[in-house]
Amino acid sequence: MTDLLTPRRLISKIALCVAALAVVMFVCSLVGTQKISLSAVFAGPGNTPGQNTDYDIFVRVRIPRIILAALVGAALAASGVALQAILRNPLAEPYILGISSGAALGVMTAAIAGVSWSFLDGSPMAAMAFLFAIGTVWLVWFTGHLAGGSTVTSLLLAGVVINAFFSAVIMLMTSLIDSEQLRSTIMWLMGSIGEKDFTTLLVSAVFIIVGITALFTISQKLNVLAFGAGEARSLGVNPRKITLVAFALASFITAVAVGLSGLVGFVGLVVPHSVRLVFGPDHRQLLPTSALLGAAFVVICDTIARTIIAPAQLPVGVITAIIGGPVFLILLSRYSKKVGALR
Amino acid sequence: MNIEVQKLRFAYKAQAEILKDISFCLTSPCFLSIAGPNGAGKTTLLNLLSGLLKPASGSIEIDSKPINSYSVRQLAKKIAVVRQEFVPVFEFSAAQIVSMARTPYLGALAFETDADREAIAESLEMTDTARFADRPLGHLSGGERQRIFIARALAQQTPILLLDEPTSFLDMKHQVGIYDLLKKMQIEKQKTIVSVTHDINLAAQYSDMTLLLSADGGYNFGPTREILTTERIESVFGVRTFSAQTGQTRFFFPLGRFTKNHSS
Repeated sequence: MTDLLTPRRLISKIALCVAALAVVMFVCSLVGTQKISLSAVFAGPGNTPGQNTDYDIFVRVRIPRIILAALVGAALAASGVALQAILRNPLAEPYILGISSGAALGVMTAAIAGVSWSFLDGSPMAAMAFLFAIGTVWLVWFTGHLAGGSTVTSLLLAGVVINAFFSAVIMLMTSLIDSEQLRSTIMWLMGSIGEKDFTTLLVSAVFIIVGITALFTISQKLNVLAFGAGEARSLGVNPRKITLVAFALASFITAVAVGLSGLVGFVGLVVPHSVRLVFGPDHRQLLPTSALLGAAFVVICDTIARTIIAPAQLPVGVITAIIGGPVFLILLSRYSKKVGALR
Repeated sequence: MNIEVQKLRFAYKAQAEILKDISFCLTSPCFLSIAGPNGAGKTTLLNLLSGLLKPASGSIEIDSKPINSYSVRQLAKKIAVVRQEFVPVFEFSAAQIVSMARTPYLGALAFETDADREAIAESLEMTDTARFADRPLGHLSGGERQRIFIARALAQQTPILLLDEPTSFLDMKHQVGIYDLLKKMQIEKQKTIVSVTHDINLAAQYSDMTLLLSADGGYNFGPTREILTTERIESVFGVRTFSAQTGQTRFFFPLGRFTKNHSS
């Protein structure tokens, strides 16, 4: 009886994670190719624009970029938590379910067709990524159901197959676009966090926070869903309804994140798994703490990405994949053993 | 709390009908055993009674209301189910698993109240599982796991308890322990217990009523003593038995072809 979650325990854990995130964001805002003195920043912008470069870099470049990284991390980690619960599979992740290649396909389509209409932040690429990511989730969901009811493996398999198909289409498209577009598109495909204007940040923050809060309200039901549809039903949870709601919310916040940053993989895998090891599997706690620590994780990865080969920059997706790939393989072998032992 | 089943029929997609025109009525408190050979539809019937499957025709009424008129949440306050053993992928502790029984009672914030904690502690106590309540399910033995799932069903505080082979992985002591506990729940808490079992001797010993399903879709329903006879067991299970009585209970022992010192 000692380990049941109470609101008080949850609040103290969340406070701990908020503090950790704040420290990470503060430290990372001071790190960069350009040395910045804090006292210069506090001196204010000065009378004429460009007078205080430290302030300008800090407020107009570093801070928005760190907030952007934090938003992407929170969204991807929370989405990973939700998808793992619905699919009852600790390996599920927005990347693995084909959302990545779906979004990538959207970007390529925009690049080739030269789409000029805009959405959210004015970039047709982000808008197309958003639409295709959502479309892909529903396609995976739909074909998974056609292939084998609501079983876990049929959904994962549908994700893998759709991923492969979209990747092939992307290859085809890559060979068609001209070299100038190619570089920016490939940078985007690898996941890059660049400068975004304030409105974009604000709108995305609202979307992501609303999405995560909505997921939190069904987090106890996600606990029950981990026991399967039949068990969930006899414990008073409508499995179909909760699965649909969680899928919709997870795909929504993933699409917002993909629209912001391109393909940043493995965050939804590494973060929830680590948090589960430390804090346990209760989703009422796992979801908010994963979101906060996922934010810190991506802020750190992005800081590495923008400083490690300075003055050039790496896409942040490269860093998360270098960390996440091995973690995925270790999890895969451990999880397969566990599943094998149960059969 | 009554369960009334009328002319229940069920078939899985494009397969022969597995349950044909089953009707029976239970008045609480009651202990019903559903027995029968493999493939007779015992688990299917349990899934129909728990609302997981929808009948092809016929009706199931819980407390004089059709089962499909209950919401999922309302039904979870009436019926708790213990299914065959299952280990979830995430490492929930035993206490966390038992605490999920309270889901239908939780408010919007979904945190357990003191009353919820009391129900959880009480059911851990009753099933003698409080000792290992903090350990993950995967680290427990089959018998301990089964008791945790029974504790969860008890913590759900429902008038009806459905169990699918609750003792199939357990040794003799724990088999009797579980059935004693179920019987106690029937007597002390006025619960209706419906248990699917292979073991007709457990059925004979504990249940008031028995529903004996045949592989051909037929069934026999009635007081356990009237239903379980050597003749009927031979016709339903296709095996001859030797029966002996101790106290009020008649037990049955299957006789194989090579049974020692038995003339045939």
